[in-house]
Amino acid sequence: MVAEARGPPVHRSVEVLASRLRRRQIVGSRATALETLLVLRQVISKARFSNLEQLVTIIRDSGRRLVDAQPKEHSVGNTVRKVLHHIREEVHAATGSTGPAKTTSFSIAKFVLQGQPRRQVAVQKSEVKATLRENDPDDPDSFARSLKPVLMEAIQDVLDELETVYDNISKNAKDHIHSDEIILTLGMSKTVEHFLKAAAHVRNYSVIVAETAPSYDGREMAKSLSSAGISTFLVPDSSIFALMSRVNKVILGAHVILANGGMFAKSGSLMAATAARAHSTPVVVCAGQFKVTPLWNLYHEYGALDFGNPSDVLGFENGDLVDKVDVVNPYYDYVQPELIVAYITNDGDHPPSSIYRLLKETYDDEDNEL
Amino acid sequence: MTSKSASAGKEKLIDEEEEVLQAVILADSFNKRFRPLTTRKPRCLLPICNAPLLDWTFESLALAGVQEVFVICRSHAELVKDAIKESKWSKPGSGMKIVPIMTAKETFSPGDALRDVYTRGLVTTDFVLVMGDLVSNIRIDEVVRVHKERRRTNKDAIMTMVVKETGVKHRTRPRGESSVFVLDPETSECLHYEHVQGYPKKKSVNIPREIFEAHPEVDIRYDLLDCSIDICSVEVPSLFQDNFDYLDIRRDFVHGILTSDLLMKNIYCYIAEEGYAARVQDTRSYDAISKDILQRWTFPLVPDDNHPGRHIYEHTRGNRYIAKDNTVVLARTCNIGTNTLIGSSTKVSENATLIASVIGQNCTIGAGTTITNSYIFEDTVIGANCTIEQSIIGSGVQIKDGSHVQKGSLIADGVVIGPNARLEPFERLSTKREETETEDDDDDDSDVEEVESNQDSIDKSSLGPDTNAIVWPRDPPDEEDDEEGPENYKNQRFMRLGDNASDLDVSDEDEDSSSEEESSTEDEDDYHELASLSELSDASIHVPALSGLMADAEFRTEVTQSLERAFTEGHSVDNAAVELKTLRMASNVPLKRVKEAVVSAIVEKIPLIEGDPTAQRKEIYGVISRWGELINKIGGVDPVETVSILQAHCATSPRMPLFGQILAALYQEDIVEEDDIRAWHALPDSKGENRKEGIETDNFQKCWMIGSHMIQQFDAQESDTDSDESSEEEQPRRPAPQGAPQSKESSDDDEDDSSDSTEGVDGGESESPSEGISTSGTSSTRQSTNTSEDEDESEETDE
Repeated sequence: MVAEARGPPVHRSVEVLASRLRRRQIVGSRATALETLLVLRQVISKARFSNLEQLVTIIRDSGRRLVDAQPKEHSVGNTVRKVLHHIREEVHAATGSTGPAKTTSFSIAKFVLQGQPRRQVAVQKSEVKATLRENDPDDPDSFARSLKPVLMEAIQDVLDELETVYDNISKNAKDHIHSDEIILTLGMSKTVEHFLKAAAHVRNYSVIVAETAPSYDGREMAKSLSSAGISTFLVPDSSIFALMSRVNKVILGAHVILANGGMFAKSGSLMAATAARAHSTPVVVCAGQFKVTPLWNLYHEYGALDFGNPSDVLGFENGDLVDKVDVVNPYYDYVQPELIVAYITNDGDHPPSSIYRLLKETYDDEDNEL
Repeated sequence: MTSKSASAGKEKLIDEEEEVLQAVILADSFNKRFRPLTTRKPRCLLPICNAPLLDWTFESLALAGVQEVFVICRSHAELVKDAIKESKWSKPGSGMKIVPIMTAKETFSPGDALRDVYTRGLVTTDFVLVMGDLVSNIRIDEVVRVHKERRRTNKDAIMTMVVKETGVKHRTRPRGESSVFVLDPETSECLHYEHVQGYPKKKSVNIPREIFEAHPEVDIRYDLLDCSIDICSVEVPSLFQDNFDYLDIRRDFVHGILTSDLLMKNIYCYIAEEGYAARVQDTRSYDAISKDILQRWTFPLVPDDNHPGRHIYEHTRGNRYIAKDNTVVLARTCNIGTNTLIGSSTKVSENATLIASVIGQNCTIGAGTTITNSYIFEDTVIGANCTIEQSIIGSGVQIKDGSHVQKGSLIADGVVIGPNARLEPFERLSTKREETETEDDDDDDSDVEEVESNQDSIDKSSLGPDTNAIVWPRDPPDEEDDEEGPENYKNQRFMRLGDNASDLDVSDEDEDSSSEEESSTEDEDDYHELASLSELSDASIHVPALSGLMADAEFRTEVTQSLERAFTEGHSVDNAAVELKTLRMASNVPLKRVKEAVVSAIVEKIPLIEGDPTAQRKEIYGVISRWGELINKIGGVDPVETVSILQAHCATSPRMPLFGQILAALYQEDIVEEDDIRAWHALPDSKGENRKEGIETDNFQKCWMIGSHMIQQFDAQESDTDSDESSEEEQPRRPAPQGAPQSKESSDDDEDDSSDSTEGVDGGESESPSEGISTSGTSSTRQSTNTSEDEDESEETDE
């Protein structure tokens, strides 16, 4: 509402997506990331701007509205940040200005500030350079006109990345899972599902799936895995600790990966990870790179666990019991970085301690607060 | 969860492509349960968890993908209209088109409102009908899909009611108004609906017997919460238009449609497995629903997530919600209990305690004040050292230092009380109306005037020196139960916030009586299965006591007259049946009475012809073939009962001797079958047992004997057909034993006569096989008794 009052009218599709996010008609990190991207593409294709600042403001405005609508779906904000990052890169490449002092030599003192060592060698698109000018007084649209195809391409890159994220994560599955291993997982994570199935092509191993009350997603997962020919055991959550001594590896999905290396994941993950620590079993997390968020202090916030409907735990039909008991049904657990051995992402494998670097490479610092 | 919701999103998209989903909101409560809070604004604009009820309703509908909403406003229509105009819903991009409809002040019931919907022609397709005080997260689009699918095969399925399983004593289940649903467990068709009030207490439920005949299995449920979400087809408003006396949607419309024999419409229930839906229909449910929201039963419609007022709250441990914009000032020593919501810019002073309460925006809570289970609207100032429990305090109220507000109090907007006010429990306070307001006011506010005029007699010293309040009557109205419906005073007590109505025999006995009720209905269920086979004469146990003898007699003459008219004017059977059904509706009598009247009228229609059996037989066949069908057309086909009624009638009528022939004629017309006659014959009552001695009983027995004889014939027939006859030839040979035309004869003679007549039907006037039977009269009698005993045995084994 505020945004509407003060500036460019917010795009209709942003509004629609915002209310769908708010009503939880669309949930799940990848789904929300994809939707966000499609909306941003619409916004950019319709946007009028004559310099980079304006374009960034427009995208930020839309992004902020979406994030405010559903602050618990972090992939929305991540996608917006990523798009901004790509746009800046493209514009800098196009205009020839190489951004703030990237070429200076590395030193440990500047290490954190600089980041982005790998994207250093961005391709120089010198052919566009001549025509592209910001704030052309004669033709204010010229900047937008000549830039838009490049922007669309940049968004398409992000889109492609999202669409192939499962395959890219599963690429190295066979290096992580060895024959005759016993893997424990819980919940229904598409990423983990793909990962395990990919490994099953070359390895022969067993999976123990905890059924993950109160959503019982684990049952779905077990069904899917067993139909792919993997030997699967479905166990109640309560037996996770008891079985842990026989488990070779715990593979979990994530909802969001924080800058400190911790993560929010399906409730029950913390229990599994703690049990794994007690048995010194490695905990590996499969997640798309779009789940990495520059936020880090979310675990201070009680509400960040996303408390869901108590009816999953205690049926509404239980009459007067409803009045006497307070039911708490958190959707996520916060898993500390100490409990996690590695993140397997589409951008390579990382220990929790180097997540911050991944962040530096992926997003621009100025976008951390949208 | 992820995948499910994703598919939900997809479904919604498909729905949108199909056609516009319409909804009608009745934004008026048509009752006064929230008075005096609702003297200045309608109930649908009262805030619950700091957002107007209407916004919650819109949000519930938006969740379901509703695209067009008609809001029917009556009281304070302008306010509702403005609220809609200013709300986020009227902005482009909200995805919903909201049209406020101002209806006339004369709209006094939901029925009137729907008649208005009809006359304006608002709806064009199946629509969602909700009240303006709904809080729901049920996937209504799913219900609509089910409804439409059903409509594709059954055009008479006009409505789907959404209900939710809660258990009898759930806090959200209204105690003042609940309902018994009789459902078909397979199709979830609602077969019968009974409204239940807290007071006067309902001890039993009358379920029409036809239901048990048509449905082998029924669920009788008293544990369902009526969500007041109805998916209606376009016919519904027009049905309201046709039946101008329907007022309430449940009590009149649903009950009326289901008990009507004429409309032949079906209503279905949708038992929502997931999701939450409830109506704020009284102050008690206001409390319950607030708690449900704070405890997240309405997720994702919760304060920290999708708050309809777009406020942003931070959810902290123990379901405490504090506005997130950093404007709330909480003193270091204040104590915030669980399940509490605090609006923005509110200030809570030292040592104040808030427990399970909702505090609006811009409120100030004084030092040392304790607020428990209360709801305080915006801009209210509460002084130091007050106690407030289980009350609803309007906006802009000032409660000065040291005041005590006891449970159940309702304090309307702008009231000032205190310092040191002492309110009694269930006190209701409002301010005087301003003079300007009275101009456009109407009859609606007559009670406000009355309250104002009675102020002098009320002692207001306890309200504190600064008060501007007027006190609403504290005592129950003098005239006990002036209203029949749920609005009577004692029933209203079940709806009051904080009132446990323990003196109205509730808390403990409630459970007993409800289970008793269930068991009794179950008994009835069992009983009914028996009833259709056995104790027919007792079937009238379901007759509502109110239809007394007088009405009965009146009804009888009416039926006779209408049938006479039909006989003389030669109506078709269908038309006569419709007329009888209407008559039955009008005088509210059970089906059996109609049947009795019809059977007796038909029997009396047969002219008596003395001394000429052939002519007599012809008459009987003439009448039965023309009108016999009517017996089944009036509904509740039960041939066994028909025979019993016929017997009962013949036993008291001069046409007693015709019984056998009439029965034979009915058999010939396929109105009763062989098995039915056997079943009837096996009934103890048919034999005239359990009856007083007298001529009637004799006649009863005679009839029964005729029946035995007929069955004997059937048996003979069967062995015949087994041996040598094809079914085609059997047709003309159907045994038709007929009673003799003579009036006074012994039963033995009857036997003979009937054998004679068999011979007549058999075709040849006097051929040898039947001759053999008639000559060996005595032996045949013995034989017949033997066979009838056999029959009895076989019947028993069958059962």
